[in-house]
Amino acid sequence: MINKIIKALEAENITTWAVNETRSESVEVFFVKKNMDLKRRTDLTDWSVSVYRTVETEDGRLLGSSSVPVYPGMDDAQLRQTLREAYFAAFFAGNRYYDLIEGKKEPHEPSKSAFSKMTCEEAARVMGEALFASDTESGVFVNSAEIFAIKRSCRVLNSRGVDVSWDACEVRGEYVVQCVEGRDVETYHSFAYGEPNTQELRRDVEKSLRETRDRAAAAKPPKAGTYRVILTGDHVEELLSYYVSRSGAGMVYQHYSDYKPGDPVQGADIRGDKLTIELVGVEPFDSEGIRLTDRTLMENGTLKLLHGGARFASYLGIEPTGSYRAIRVPTGSTPFEELKREPYLRVVTFSDFQMDPMSGHFAGEIRLAYLYDGETVTPVTGGSVNGSLLAAQTDLTFSRERHVTQTYTGPLAVSIPNVSVAGA
Amino acid sequence: MKLGDSLFIAEAKPACRELLKGLLDKYPFASILVQDASQKSCAVSRRLTSVSMGGRFSARGFVVKVFDGEHWSEHSFSHISPETVPELLERISATAAMSKAVLPDGIRERVYSAPKTEKLTFHGGTDYEIDPDEVGDGEIISRLTALRDRGLAVSEKILDCQANLVWQKNRKLYLAPDREQEQNVLWTTGTVFTVAAKGQEIKMSRKGFSTLGGAELMDSMDAGVEDVARVTLELLDSQPLTPGEYECVCTPEVTGMIVHEAFGHGVEMDMFVKKRALAEKYVGEYVASPLVTMHDGAAVVPETGSYFFDDEGTMAQDTVIIEKGVLRRGISDYLSAMTLGTAPTGNGRRESYRRKAYTRMTNTYFEAGTDKVEDMIASVKDGLLLCEPSSGMEDPKNWGIQCMVSYAREIKDGKLTGRIFSPIVLTGYVPDLLKSITMMSDTLELGGGGMCGKGYKEWVKVSDGGPWIKARIRLG
Repeated sequence: MINKIIKALEAENITTWAVNETRSESVEVFFVKKNMDLKRRTDLTDWSVSVYRTVETEDGRLLGSSSVPVYPGMDDAQLRQTLREAYFAAFFAGNRYYDLIEGKKEPHEPSKSAFSKMTCEEAARVMGEALFASDTESGVFVNSAEIFAIKRSCRVLNSRGVDVSWDACEVRGEYVVQCVEGRDVETYHSFAYGEPNTQELRRDVEKSLRETRDRAAAAKPPKAGTYRVILTGDHVEELLSYYVSRSGAGMVYQHYSDYKPGDPVQGADIRGDKLTIELVGVEPFDSEGIRLTDRTLMENGTLKLLHGGARFASYLGIEPTGSYRAIRVPTGSTPFEELKREPYLRVVTFSDFQMDPMSGHFAGEIRLAYLYDGETVTPVTGGSVNGSLLAAQTDLTFSRERHVTQTYTGPLAVSIPNVSVAGA
Repeated sequence: MKLGDSLFIAEAKPACRELLKGLLDKYPFASILVQDASQKSCAVSRRLTSVSMGGRFSARGFVVKVFDGEHWSEHSFSHISPETVPELLERISATAAMSKAVLPDGIRERVYSAPKTEKLTFHGGTDYEIDPDEVGDGEIISRLTALRDRGLAVSEKILDCQANLVWQKNRKLYLAPDREQEQNVLWTTGTVFTVAAKGQEIKMSRKGFSTLGGAELMDSMDAGVEDVARVTLELLDSQPLTPGEYECVCTPEVTGMIVHEAFGHGVEMDMFVKKRALAEKYVGEYVASPLVTMHDGAAVVPETGSYFFDDEGTMAQDTVIIEKGVLRRGISDYLSAMTLGTAPTGNGRRESYRRKAYTRMTNTYFEAGTDKVEDMIASVKDGLLLCEPSSGMEDPKNWGIQCMVSYAREIKDGKLTGRIFSPIVLTGYVPDLLKSITMMSDTLELGGGGMCGKGYKEWVKVSDGGPWIKARIRLG
């Protein structure tokens, strides 16, 4: 189909373009307790074509663009009609001119994941066995689960010579743990692995089973007030996503962020741990075909880099870095146990923890937290956390212990002082 | 005008019929859903203009569902032709037979009884006044640009104003034994939002518009741009709220979020199957004030959650979920209804042909009451007016509330004082909130600007709303 698309682009005299091809297969299994409820397979091919045209205006030269999906089975006439309509639409979507990424044909990069040596069926089964391995009790158990084993083959081409391709594999999913001893409660968990890390998934499920039992014992919300809040795991990643969002070239170009390399973005007077964040590529290239190499985003609280694709990088006069979806953060020096010496509210699960990159506010309803008043640790549930990273960022303390997922390698925990909590 | 048929579906139909025949030679039941959905969006902001014909709601392909006498399987694929039917039959059969390869140790496969089939043919399309594709990109961009300029003109402090228009033409064919249903649905949504900065903190306000129709929506978008900008400027002086329980009046948008997030997800009956919904135990009991009557249905109002039949071929309905405060029933997809021994309610929806069908909401709302909005505000001695929902997350098992709204206006002695608080988190226990409703306005508004996820995925278009309500709510 790609040759057919390129021929159609030539026939329509469209000289500036980019094509993304994604071929994917997946096996998906859905469980309710220890029964497989449904099995699915997908076998999909998608193409997306972006077309560009120069538009001369009184304000100067603009670049108009539009993107359009292309489907298998389209004949030449349908394809040309589709591209013609996209090219026409591009005339009305003129923005500051920039050049597409320049490149060349690169060797295909096969996936290095051990998943690539398995079929999707095997990958789904292996991870399913890990998920259910510790599900051995009747009082607390896996209520339901979904597993998606996915293999993708991606290719990006453009009219300036880029022609890169790579394979990617992952198993992702979610599960709900229910406890019927004490209060009948549940907790929700999701996972994504680029490798068949069965031990990690098994440990996660064991931890979830323990925490859900604790949630069943938690009867009350914390009292409304201000707490030193400890966040762990994925919530630390979500909190730090603020800095990744605010340093995005698109945010800066639109003046939603005034970040500049060299800025002390964590604040001028950092009393807590100084933040260093690296951007890490999960796959070898991004959707524009830019190779994703590891880059330092922040070092000791100071911004080192603005990041983004060709368009916004060109507008800001910076190197296009590509679009990243993973970060690596050095751990702190404080042992997790030491973080828990003074009174705290450690929130383990939220309904949905959100970090707003615009306002700097973070918030979430508490499903399970441990409240330490200096003497005893009490599980609590209900109420919500509502804080401002802008107010707290100079006083963060990170744990020495590490947490690793497909998109995050960094401290397991962060302590945030003076966070407002709506409770009883 | 009615949205017409898909050429893609017309061309694929003979091969699909042949595939279905082949499957029914081998299996007791099979169905095919064909989807041809195109989404287009136009957006204008201070520094950017875009036109895109792709997106989450663009999809063209097929999903086959097979019942082998005991178990269900599905196979999604992108292409069919008469020549590929034999190969597809093999692939689909392999999917139906892959249980041993995917079953973890100690896990069984659920056994279902045979589905009942019912003869049905249907062919329908939704109405619209103006086809957005015929308006032309230039005209749409021009009108959005005018809206943007009006928003920016309100104050130099407005950093940005974005106006966008999104529409989807979603055409589907459902084939099953004795069944052939075809529908064509067009919805259009628009948004205007403005942004202002207070140091590093970015404040924004938005207004959404939606219709089960076409570009005629743009006429309604002309009203209120300046108001959105003025609210954004007000938010620059907003203060954090002291957490606590407040007497609140909610705008219809906030009511809609409470209806959808706090209660609606809890009556999705695939959650009953998993014993994940507290609501199952409360059918027949008071869960809300007697003032409250709640509906969900793709056939109940013309909004973005509307369609004629769901993704399992069940015709759309109007389900009364809460009647005068009493929980009557939930909503369900086909498989959940089979398991529970209930009737499906036309709520089996897929994000696209690529994804599984789950029980999903459609158009969900509280009926209007009898109160005047001004009387509701006048009745509050010391409380808040909650405005502009931003996000929410369900908790069907424990009926915990997590909803966020952009801001709240202070009410003292029945009058708005001008003080504004932001952001606001709603928390607490769902029945406590619903039972505390003491007033409901005599006006009703629904909005379909947003999307609904099942957890963190499976996005579908929905609408929600209701009247203004007065209730006691725990806020943070």
